[in-house]
Amino acid sequence: MRQLPVPDPGTPDLASAHRFVLWLMRKQRGSVLLGIIWGCAWMIAQALVPAAIGSAIDALTRHQATAFTWDCLAVLGLGVLTALTGVLRHRMVVSNFLDAAFRIIQLVTEHAARLGNTLAKLLSTGEVVSVGTADVDAVGGAIDVTGRGSGAVAAVIVVAVILLSRSLVLGLIVLIGGPAMTALVGSLLRPLHQRQQRYRDLQGQLATRAADIVAGLRVLRGIGGEPAFSRRYFDQSQELRRTGVVVARTESYLFGAQVLLPGMFVTAATWIAAHYALHRVITPGQLVTFYAYASFLAVPLATLTEAADAIVRGLVAAGRVVAILRLRPEITDPAEPAEAPAAGSVLHDPVSGLTVRAGELVGLAAADPAEAAELADRIGGYRAEAEPELGGIPLHRLPVDVVRSRVLVATNDAHLFAGRFDEQLAAGRPAAGQLTSSDQVLAAVRAAAADDVLDAVGLDGELAARGRTLSGGQAQRVRLARALLAEPEILVLVEPTSAVDAHTEAAIARQLRSARPGVATVVVSNSPLLLDQADWVAYLRDGTVTATGTHRDLIASDASYASTVTREGGP
Amino acid sequence: MTAADSILPVATGKQVISHARKVMASHRRELAVVIALYTAATVAGLMPPRLLGAIVTDVQHSAPASHIDVLAIAIAIALLAQSVLIRYGALAGARLGEAVLARFREDFIDGVLGLPLSTVERAGSGDLMARSSRDVNALSLTARQCVPALLTAGLTVILTIAAIAADSPVLVLPCLIVVPPIWAVARWYLRRAPAAYLRESASWGVLTDSLAETVEGARTVEALRLASARRGRADADIASSYAAERYTLRLRTFFLPAAEASYVLPLAGVLAFGGVAYLHGWCTLGQVTAAALYARALVAPMDALVQWLNYLQTGMAALARLLGLAHIPADREPSAVSPGDDRLSAAAVSHAYVAGRDVLRQVSLTVEPGERVAIVGPSGAGKSTLGRLLAGIQRPDSGEVTVGGVALTELPLDDLRGYIALVTQEHHIFQGSVRDNVTLGVPEASDEAVRSALAAVDALGWALELPDGLDTAVGSGGSTLSAPQAQQVALARLVLADPHTLVLDEATSLLDPRSARRLEQSLSAVLDGRTVVAIAHRLHTAHDADRVIVMEHGRITEAGPHRDLVATDGPYAALWRSWHGDAPNRPKENNPQAPVHDGVDNSSSNAACGG
Repeated sequence: MRQLPVPDPGTPDLASAHRFVLWLMRKQRGSVLLGIIWGCAWMIAQALVPAAIGSAIDALTRHQATAFTWDCLAVLGLGVLTALTGVLRHRMVVSNFLDAAFRIIQLVTEHAARLGNTLAKLLSTGEVVSVGTADVDAVGGAIDVTGRGSGAVAAVIVVAVILLSRSLVLGLIVLIGGPAMTALVGSLLRPLHQRQQRYRDLQGQLATRAADIVAGLRVLRGIGGEPAFSRRYFDQSQELRRTGVVVARTESYLFGAQVLLPGMFVTAATWIAAHYALHRVITPGQLVTFYAYASFLAVPLATLTEAADAIVRGLVAAGRVVAILRLRPEITDPAEPAEAPAAGSVLHDPVSGLTVRAGELVGLAAADPAEAAELADRIGGYRAEAEPELGGIPLHRLPVDVVRSRVLVATNDAHLFAGRFDEQLAAGRPAAGQLTSSDQVLAAVRAAAADDVLDAVGLDGELAARGRTLSGGQAQRVRLARALLAEPEILVLVEPTSAVDAHTEAAIARQLRSARPGVATVVVSNSPLLLDQADWVAYLRDGTVTATGTHRDLIASDASYASTVTREGGP
Repeated sequence: MTAADSILPVATGKQVISHARKVMASHRRELAVVIALYTAATVAGLMPPRLLGAIVTDVQHSAPASHIDVLAIAIAIALLAQSVLIRYGALAGARLGEAVLARFREDFIDGVLGLPLSTVERAGSGDLMARSSRDVNALSLTARQCVPALLTAGLTVILTIAAIAADSPVLVLPCLIVVPPIWAVARWYLRRAPAAYLRESASWGVLTDSLAETVEGARTVEALRLASARRGRADADIASSYAAERYTLRLRTFFLPAAEASYVLPLAGVLAFGGVAYLHGWCTLGQVTAAALYARALVAPMDALVQWLNYLQTGMAALARLLGLAHIPADREPSAVSPGDDRLSAAAVSHAYVAGRDVLRQVSLTVEPGERVAIVGPSGAGKSTLGRLLAGIQRPDSGEVTVGGVALTELPLDDLRGYIALVTQEHHIFQGSVRDNVTLGVPEASDEAVRSALAAVDALGWALELPDGLDTAVGSGGSTLSAPQAQQVALARLVLADPHTLVLDEATSLLDPRSARRLEQSLSAVLDGRTVVAIAHRLHTAHDADRVIVMEHGRITEAGPHRDLVATDGPYAALWRSWHGDAPNRPKENNPQAPVHDGVDNSSSNAACGG
C-alpha cells in the first residue's frame, strides 16, 4: 500500500473540472491503470462462467467424463480468479479513491489558509459552499468507478464474442435485447426519481424541524409550547410517511417490472434458443449458456449506467472544488515590497490620526463602536484601500505575512480550533516549532484570567472545535490568552472583555500591562475598567480621534466621552 | 467523545429488543401479510430454473416442440406471478416500514420535548442533534431498505436450498458444505466490521470537520499565521483516517475473497456432484441444470445478506440511542399545593455537580416581591448555579428553594413557568411565523396581546415591516432576523408569558456592544413591575438594583444596597470605584507613569476638538 498523505499534493490543473479530475488521475497513473486491469480481469472471469457451465453440460450429454471434469475445474478456477482479482481491484480503487480525496483535502486546506480573510468574507456572503464530504466523495467516486466501468465494457465485449460465435441470430437477440431492457427499466426510473426527490425534500424538512426543536430546546423547555411542537412534528412526520407510501407504490411497480421485463426477454430468448437446440442448431449446453447470459448481461450494463452517473456527479463536484481553488486573495503582496521597518516602529493611521508607540497600552473608546472595529481592521492591514503606516511605510507596501506577524487584530469572532489546549494556545507563537514552555502558557492563561478553563480542560486536555464546550466568557478569555501568547509587536484587542463579569474584567485589566512589556497594545472598548488601566485613551468620534488623555482626565473634561463610557446617557 | 455523551443514556440491547417486539406485536397482521407475500414471490421466482431444466431434458430427448412451448409459457406465467407478488409485497412492506419508522421518530421527538429541564440545561445540544439527524437517518435506511432486503435475501437463500432439495436431494450436500465456513467468515467479519466502520466514519468526520474549521476560521488562520499548522493538522487527520480505512480494507481483504470463493463452491460442487450422478444415471440432465442454476442464483442473496447485516447493526445502535431518552428519570414531583404568595426564598442551599466539589455552600436568600437583586462575583463563584436553583431548573443537593412556601421542584412545569422564568441572552428563532415565535408559551394569545408584547420591547415597528407582517415565516428556511431582533422576540415571549419573577443571567451577555443600548431598553421594559434576580456582569446593573449580593467561592460575602456597600469600603466598593473612575482609594501601583505625550499626531489630523 502506498503512503498517504503525500508530502506535497502538487499543483493542480484548474483549467476545468475534467482537467482537474484528469490531473488527479495522472498523479497516480500507475495504480489507476492497475485498477482498470484488475477490474477487467475480474469482470471477464465472471463473464466466462456461463460458458463454462454450458460446456460442462454439453460434456455430460456426450458422456465425456474428462472434459466434464475440466469444465468443473474451470468453473471453480474462474470463481477463485473472480475472488482474487476482485479483491485486488477493490484494494487498488480504494487507495485511488483515498489518494484523490486526501489530495483534494490537502489542496483546499492549503488554499483556504492562503485566502485567509478573503475567504472569511466570501463565506459570510454565502458565495462559498464549503467543500465537505459529499464533494470529496463524488470526485473520488468518479476515479473509483474507472476500474469497474472498464471491466463492464470488457465483459460486454467478451459476452458478445462468445454469443456471436455460437449463433449470430441468438447472439444478436441477446446483445440488442439486453441493453434495450436496461434502457427500458432505466426510463421507468425517472418518474420514481422525482417522487424520491419529493420524499428526500420532506425528509430534509422534517430533519430541519427536529434540529430546530433541539437547537431551541432550552428556550422551549424554559417557556413552554411543547404540545404545539409535538403536534407540528407529528403532522410533518405523517406527511412524510404518506409520501413514503406513495413512493413505495411507484417503486413497487418498478420492482415488479424489473423482474418481469428482463424475465420475459430472457424467456423469449430461451424459448427461441430451445427451438434452435431442438433442431440441433445449438447444443443443450449452449442453450443454458444463452439463458445465463441473457440475465448476466444486466450486471455489466447496470455498472455502466452507474459509472456514467458517478462520472457526471464527480465532474460537478470537481467543478465546485475548482471554483474554490481558483479564488484569489483580496490583498496580495506588493510587486516590489519595501524593506520591513525596524522592530518597535510607530504605527500611525493618517485617516483617524491614531498613533501607537511601542511600550504603550492604549485605550480606544468610540462613540460608535462600529467605527472602532473598522479602525482596528484598518490598522491591521485588512483594508486594501487604507494606508496606515508602520515606521513611515504604508502597510500595503509590505508583504502580507510581515504585516500579520507584526500587527495582530484579535476579535471576538476569532476561531478556536480543536486540539490540545496548550498547543492551541501557543498556535500563534512567532517562530513555528519554537518550544513554548508551560510556564509561558500558564502566564498567558493567568493574564487572561482563564484559570478556570485551564482547571476544567487541563494543559494537555482537548479543546473542542469552535470552543463549543466553553461558555462565551470562557472562550473569550481563551482567545485573549492565545493573542497574548502570540506576542505580536502591536496587539489590537477588540472588545476583549465583552462577555466576562466585572470582577474578571477588572482582573484582566490589571494584568494586561505586565503581560505586554515593551510592546504596543491597543484595547478597543468602552469599558471604564479597561480604559482606566490604559496609559492613555483615544476617543473616536465620526472617524477621527477627537480627544486623548488618561481615562480620568477625559471623564472630567469630555462630556461625550464620559457619557459613552459610563452609559449615564443610557437607561 | 464529549462529556455530553455521558449525560444522555443509551438503551440496552434488552430494552431495544423488547421495544422492537412491542412495536411488531402491534403490527402483527401486517407483518404476517408481508412475510407471506415475500415467501410466495420467492417461490414463484424459483420456478424458471426448474422449468429450464425440463426444457434441457426435452431438448436432449427431442421431445415435441409443443411440449417446449408449454414449458416456456409456464416460465412466463411464473415470472408474471413473481412480479405481481413482488409488487404487492414491496408495497405492504413499505407501508409497515413507514408506519414503524414514523412511530419511532415521533416517540423520539416526544422524548426530547419531555426531557427534564436539568438534563436539557446540562447536556447541551450536540448529542441530541446527532441523535435527531444521524440516528434517525440510519434508522430510516434500516426500516426502508435494510430490513426488506434482509427479509428477501434470507428467504431466497433458504427457499433456494429447499428448491435444490426438491429438485434432487443429493445435490443439497455441496450447498450445505459451505455453510460452516461462510458462517465462520461472516461471523468473524461482522464482529469486527461495525466498530471498524464507525471508527472509519468518525475519522472522516474529524477530517472534514477540521477542513471546515480551516475554511470557517480562515481569517484567524491568516491573522495568527497558522497555515502550516493547519496543513499539519490536515495531514495528521488524513493519516488517522487512512489508518482507519486501511483497517477496514484489511478486513475486506480477508472477507471478500473468502466470501466470494464460498459462493462459487456450491456451484462447482453441485455441477460436479450432479455430473457424476447423471453419468451414473441417478438423475436427469434437467435436474443437474436446474441445480446448477439454483446454486448460481445463491450468490446474490448471500452477498446481500452479509452486506445488510452490517447495516442492521448500525441501525440497531442508532435505535438504542433513540430509545435511550425514554430512560431518563423525571426531575420533578408535582404536588397539588399552590404557592401562598410571590416570595422567592432559598434556605441553606448547597449544590455540587461533581460529588465533593460544592459550587454552592449553605446559601440563603429571600427575594421580596417587586425587589431587584443583583448578584455579582468572579467567575466560578456559583452565581449561575444559584440562578438555576432560583429558577427551579435544578434541585439543590441540600436546602430548599421555595416560592410562596412551595418547593420549586414540586410545582408542575407549566405552573412554574407562570411564576418564574430564567432569561439568558441565548435566543433561538423557531421555524414558523413571528407570531408563533412570540406565543410559544401562550398559544391562545390574542393578536392584540402579541402586538402589545412586541411593542413593549420596541419590536413592533420592524415586525410589521416584514413582508407578511407578524405572519412572516422566520427561522431556518424563512426570513432571517438579526441577532438583536431575535433577542427582542425572545423578550416579547417573556412579556406575553408574564411571570412575576425573572432570573436574568447576563453570563452569555450581549457580545455586540453596537446593539447593546437598544436591547437594554427592551429589557428594561420586560423587567418593569417584576421581581428580578440579575446575575450581573455589568456594574450598572448592580448600581440600579435594590440590593447587591456579592458571591465568592460559593458563599455570599457581602450583601446590601449599592450605597451601603460602597460606604463600607469592601471589595465591591473597590471594584465600583475602579469602574466608575472615582479617584480615592485607588491603588497607586496600577498606574506606574502618567503618559507624557498626547498620543495624537496633530500634523496629520484635525483631532482633539473635545479635549
